[in-house]
Amino acid sequence: MVRLDKPAEESAQSEAPALPVPGFRIDKRAADAIVWLLLLTMPFWLNWIGGYTQLGTRVVILALAAMSLNFLLGYTGVLSFGHAAYFGLGGYGVGLTLKYLVPNTLVGMGVGIVAAIVAAAIIGALIVRLRGIYFAMVTIAFGQVFYFIAYRWNNVTGGDDGLSGWHRLPINLGFTQIDILHNKLAFYYVVLFCFAVSVGIMALLLRSPFGRTLLAIRENERRARFLGIPVDRHIWLSWLISCTFCSLAGTLYALLNNFSDPHDLHWEQSGNFVIMAVLGGMRSFWGPLIGAGIFIVLEDYISSRTENWESFIGLFFVLVVLFFPRGVLGVIRRRTTQ
Amino acid sequence: MTQPKSFPIGRRTVLKAAAAAGVAQVAAPFVISARAAETVKIGLNDPLTGTYALLGKNEQIGCQLAVEQINKKGGILGRKVELLVEDSTSADTGIAVQKAHKLIDRDKVNFLLGNVNSAMAIALGEVSNQAGILHIVTGGHTDSVTGTDCHWNVFRVCNTTRMETNSVSSTLFKKYGKKFYFITPDYAFGHTLQQGFEAALKANNGTETGASLTPLGSTDFSSYLIKAEASKPDVIIFLTAGQDSVNALKQAVQFGLNKKFGIAGAQQELEVLEGLPPEARIGTWVFEWYWRQPNVPHVKEFVAEIRKVNGGKVPTARHWFGYASTWTCALAANHTKSLNALKMAKFLQNFKLPPEVALMPNNPFYREGDNQLMPTLYVGHAQEKGKDDPEDLFVVDKEVKGVDAALPVAETGCKMKWPA
Repeated sequence: MVRLDKPAEESAQSEAPALPVPGFRIDKRAADAIVWLLLLTMPFWLNWIGGYTQLGTRVVILALAAMSLNFLLGYTGVLSFGHAAYFGLGGYGVGLTLKYLVPNTLVGMGVGIVAAIVAAAIIGALIVRLRGIYFAMVTIAFGQVFYFIAYRWNNVTGGDDGLSGWHRLPINLGFTQIDILHNKLAFYYVVLFCFAVSVGIMALLLRSPFGRTLLAIRENERRARFLGIPVDRHIWLSWLISCTFCSLAGTLYALLNNFSDPHDLHWEQSGNFVIMAVLGGMRSFWGPLIGAGIFIVLEDYISSRTENWESFIGLFFVLVVLFFPRGVLGVIRRRTTQ
Repeated sequence: MTQPKSFPIGRRTVLKAAAAAGVAQVAAPFVISARAAETVKIGLNDPLTGTYALLGKNEQIGCQLAVEQINKKGGILGRKVELLVEDSTSADTGIAVQKAHKLIDRDKVNFLLGNVNSAMAIALGEVSNQAGILHIVTGGHTDSVTGTDCHWNVFRVCNTTRMETNSVSSTLFKKYGKKFYFITPDYAFGHTLQQGFEAALKANNGTETGASLTPLGSTDFSSYLIKAEASKPDVIIFLTAGQDSVNALKQAVQFGLNKKFGIAGAQQELEVLEGLPPEARIGTWVFEWYWRQPNVPHVKEFVAEIRKVNGGKVPTARHWFGYASTWTCALAANHTKSLNALKMAKFLQNFKLPPEVALMPNNPFYREGDNQLMPTLYVGHAQEKGKDDPEDLFVVDKEVKGVDAALPVAETGCKMKWPA
């Protein structure tokens, strides 16, 4: 298992119920409320400070991907460098369905997610016994398999040109129709709804005995094993849940761009998810959201100013890792709980 | 354990507040409060980093020159023109799409230009079509931009891959023979080029002695070149681009293949020839624009203008793409006296570029039905060094009209849907 920084007191600190500081629970609820309030009102204040609606949509989608990765990385202690594969599978699933099979956005998303679940279940079963760097390496390898399928299979996936010639379609709910194609706001709120449901499920899972077991595995795998916990099966389930929500993010991302890109399957994309999680703080639930926000806004803002924007993002990441190894949120957390 | 105190304002808090205020000052440009509402905005979405950075920057220089000239001549509808440039990166289409949203939704550009990367050109076409703004693809060559993925608002200045292969194939048959071996980069651009040549071979009873698919970014071409040599073709066709071209041609010369077989290909760029050692500047190619055209009016002035802003170097086809695209926007708006994309797109059907923008013979025009520019293609051969200019690395043997090289509209797969 990959053990990035984790002294015992730090991990105790990051788990709310274990903490005896009075008033902390209220703080946590207040923080949750602020996060949701900001997300709900984002399209309104984002334009005001010089952003645009799609930027907010992109932040929410990539935050979902990073948070789903963090379910595995931060709460199970397993580092995957191949999550882009499931992100991209979702994207190609929805693209291929809308282009060739059924002109229905929801069906497309379903196909994308199911395809990713099947792939993740099989691959997970093969690699779940590996630990640490070996696990990470094999996830990269499997990820690149999907990348090269998309890159080479020109007739179906469009190869290097990507899968184009389709776009998202209005969602028909029977009683009403949501025009996500032309209405940017409607699409943002559909994305936010998916985000809320996914994040809610992940939060509930983490509070359940299952989630506590994952934490136990993260803290001390050998001890968990001695307690009779089927460790491999738990890691497999955590991997599967993580990949499922990542693929949901992938379908939304393809719908946002109206395009499935082989780059979405590439390991560089997986690396970006890890960066987002680490940047924001992988021991905290909202950390990856903050990380994704910082990463994307920085990328969007600096790249319009200078060609060397990638150096600045790299520098920023180095600084964060050097001085705030627990991520941005980790630092704020520690200050408020002291 | 002591109870937490109620918000003591200490020295550190003050310092932090001061630091936060300082950061806010730096971040201030993010808040865009006032914008000059009267300018007409042209958004360029092109790679400025990565593999295609050089090509993207050259297009940008061309665009900037055009904007300066347009402003000198009174702008668009009497309003000043402003060029907004966004880096699309060379590989991440997601970022390119995001930047297009940024240009269209936040900066409210009136025109969109770009992209060098074919995949991005297609994806941006979808974005601009949703937004209903006039979009000119500067340098993405894949057929489908003005073929199966065509849109009423998307025009293209550079050629399709099929036009490039069609323009050169008859020359290759005459010069070398009808047995081809292909060195093809293994992605969509290479595949479509090879298909184009294969169609020409079939129509002329030629044979394909073999083909090697090479991974993008290959540095060692020796195994492919040995296979090519063993198959005894008349000509080895290099469909590689950029740095791959440089490596492949260098090694072909080291192997002495240029002494045994013909060396040729389709699209070639001055940027690549300049990157080659002199002895590897060989072969028969297609250029999409060339700076040395003594008999074409206005070319000399254009070359001189670009030299001023390009570190003394001559313009390449990429400069011209940016220049012609930007001028197309201004001409369409000024002729229709409107910034309505539909009106301008209708106007551009079969619109001939005026000579000061065309800078090539045969009156290039935007073909009705697929919005593809029908420019002149320059078939010729590379040379080691120019007689009087070190950048004169290409000799034009034949000029081919775009309409003769392009597939008829009915065969492009483009089904144009105009809004009601």
